[in-house]
Amino acid sequence: MTDLAIDVVQQLLNGFLFGSSYALIGIGFTMIFGVMDKLNLAFAVTGLAGAYTGLLLFHLTRGPFILVFLMAVAAAGLIGLVIELACFRWMPRDYPLAPLMATMGMLFFVDEVVSHATHGRPMAFPAPMGQVMMDVGPWLVRGDLGFMFLVSLAVMGALWALVYKTRLGLATRAVSQQPVAAQLCGIGLTRVNAAVFIITGMVGGVAGTLIGSAVGNLSPLLSLPLTVKGLVTAVLGGLGSIPGAIVAGLLLGIVEYEALYFFGIGYRDMVTYLLLFAFLVFRPGGLFGQRVGR
Amino acid sequence: MLAIERLSKQFGGVKAVQHVDLDVRQNEILGLIGPNGSGKSTIVNLVTGVFPPTEGRVRFKDGDITGWPPHRVLAAGVGRTFQSIRLFGGLTVWQNLWVAQNAQSEGGRGVLRRWLAVDRASMTKIEATLEFCRLLDKKDELASNLAFGDQRRLELARTLAAEPDLLLLDEPAAGMNAAEIEDLRERLLALKRRGKTIVLIEHHMELVMTVAERVAVLNFGQKIAEGRPAAVQDDERVREAYLGQRR
Amino acid sequence: MEFYFALATLFGFRILLGLSAYVVILTGQISMAQAGFYALGAYTAGAATALWGWPIVPAVLLGAIVGAVFGFLVGFPALRVRGLFLVIATLAFTEIVRMVFLNLKYTIRVGDRTIGPAAAEGFRGITYYFENGWSSLQIAGFTWLFVLAVLLAFWLMDRSRAGVVLRAVGEDELAASSVGINLTAAKVSAMTLGGLVAGLAGALYAHYATYLSQEEFGVLLASFAVAYPLIGGTGSVLGPIAGVLFFSLLIDGLRFLGDWRNLLFGVLIVAMMNVRPHGIIDVRLVRRLAALLRPAPKRAYAGD
Repeated sequence: MTDLAIDVVQQLLNGFLFGSSYALIGIGFTMIFGVMDKLNLAFAVTGLAGAYTGLLLFHLTRGPFILVFLMAVAAAGLIGLVIELACFRWMPRDYPLAPLMATMGMLFFVDEVVSHATHGRPMAFPAPMGQVMMDVGPWLVRGDLGFMFLVSLAVMGALWALVYKTRLGLATRAVSQQPVAAQLCGIGLTRVNAAVFIITGMVGGVAGTLIGSAVGNLSPLLSLPLTVKGLVTAVLGGLGSIPGAIVAGLLLGIVEYEALYFFGIGYRDMVTYLLLFAFLVFRPGGLFGQRVGR
Repeated sequence: MLAIERLSKQFGGVKAVQHVDLDVRQNEILGLIGPNGSGKSTIVNLVTGVFPPTEGRVRFKDGDITGWPPHRVLAAGVGRTFQSIRLFGGLTVWQNLWVAQNAQSEGGRGVLRRWLAVDRASMTKIEATLEFCRLLDKKDELASNLAFGDQRRLELARTLAAEPDLLLLDEPAAGMNAAEIEDLRERLLALKRRGKTIVLIEHHMELVMTVAERVAVLNFGQKIAEGRPAAVQDDERVREAYLGQRR
Repeated sequence: MEFYFALATLFGFRILLGLSAYVVILTGQISMAQAGFYALGAYTAGAATALWGWPIVPAVLLGAIVGAVFGFLVGFPALRVRGLFLVIATLAFTEIVRMVFLNLKYTIRVGDRTIGPAAAEGFRGITYYFENGWSSLQIAGFTWLFVLAVLLAFWLMDRSRAGVVLRAVGEDELAASSVGINLTAAKVSAMTLGGLVAGLAGALYAHYATYLSQEEFGVLLASFAVAYPLIGGTGSVLGPIAGVLFFSLLIDGLRFLGDWRNLLFGVLIVAMMNVRPHGIIDVRLVRRLAALLRPAPKRAYAGD
């Protein structure tokens, strides 16, 4: 096998593994959209803030990674609920631009709280698998990326079980398909919405922790790129589709790593965005989208 | 005037409309009736280009308008209203009509006048249309603030402002009270006197039977009867289709 | 005084940017491409004066035209996508433009200085105002000449049938097309107009800033462009201005709070949207004001 082929496959592998974090963020955006038909721009920053809270606990207690992880997830779930209260609950139901703006304000706010607390400096994040490397034939699997992928997979599995095997999941699906009929059947819209925000917030917390430990540090500078990547993933997958977001996230990861390899850092994002633009124009509903645009 | 030939539409596996033939004659009021889901609104949407037919042709005034986009269908002279009212809620009553007016002939001469200025003549025309639909006193209200009956009337007025020759009215009496329906009956007859051709889709049988010269009946996407109102009422298949429903 | 002239000039750019997003929002679409048009106008006009030695007025107009051309070009493919899909597609456009300027190297030497876009180092030496000895009052006046012209044009458009048609498309596309509105024409016109105004804003900004760096023209700028009309309301051209004032007063007026200002910034946006979800100056407010101002029935319909 030529070196080129080996490198290409190596990038594919890295991109695939790293893409699982995009998938998680995309799932968060897509689930909220599926239930409410509205966008929560503050979602990615929720995950990041969760990770920071975990980090705070780590600095206070020097506890094990699992504690950091749990703290991050719990905090992100709570922030998710706050966002639902502040930006969605009392907004007019048929005007999606109001919560869009409100969540943009929330994004600024959370971002600023983090910048304020950390003085805008990046902070080292514990990386439990940072040193681990695994050989697979001529290829290397980075431990942190492998860890990221496995945890993401577990979260996706848990989400699947939640959406398809529980009463809450049933209610969620009912609300996302027929909000009025669901209400007539006695499903409390407010409670479902709140639950979805808490759950997606927790998913964001997992994503934030994973990205923190894969990158090795956390920085407020991450919030905008992560928001954009998450949105891209959700839209690419066809808004409202969880499997779509998973496929799109992995795909985005692969495209980014390959573009980085072939075109260098200066052109990586350009290639990604060109592909995205072309894709949206030729397939306006996304990968798995039945509903075209809103 | 309007000739529909073997028109069909499939949504996935559902055959919403199957091989429907329908002729609308100049200056008549044709009633199009049928149980819920029999494909009446689908036919309106197919004729006005909301979506293209799977099969069949639509001819209007000797021209083929099959698959034309809505704005070109209107420019050809076919106007419509919607079963679920679709007004421009953030615009005033008068603005709703202004949008529709002059939209028939895009481009060409007088572009600036049509787009940027209001001339006396078009203003008078809009007022006359509002007067006709009994909305003149509400002309500066926001459309979304109108009562339900007024909203229905505004939709008709807006379509009239575009001055189509053929009107496809999708359940204009739905949700109206007896007095409002009586008023609508007068409007329809007055429009006919003015030379308009009307296809009236309606569940309110009394209205259809008293204003329509001919009635076509749809069931499960197919035309099952056509003729004079009285004859159609006595048709065995029509009775069957409506079995269990009123009339 | 200098400070206030500079502030007025900055307000001018923001208002133009807000207006460029406003005209697209009228058709019911959120476009994140305005930052891209702004960047294209800025780099083009900057190159025109600094590299090609053009006078300022043709240079600024060229920037506006380039913005309009790209608005037109983006308008067509963007027709196929709506809502959030359009948000992402136009965001991709803005990022592509940014990446192009991140990699674009086109410099000349003037004496001991390097002038022109130098990839990641940015575009230095757009010194037309300085070379011609313009005062900050003159710069502010020149900027506001364009701002007032655009405001007047948009105000007239809002009262014309063209403006009402754009709003009708924003209210209900299907209803608009079924009363004869060509959706393609309406949406592409709005995008072209938006591109023109954003390009103009960028062109003016380039000469005020004298130095351009692609980082300025990203998601954040695009978000602010749509935030001005959304916070300020889309009931009239005064909406985007109210939005600019809201943000600018927050940014510059809360300076005494120091670092805490930025915290309050986000909170105030959230609060504002809860209080006035359709923006400060929404359609209803405009109608109520119009009813107050024009009680005479004869004039009641004359304008709108």
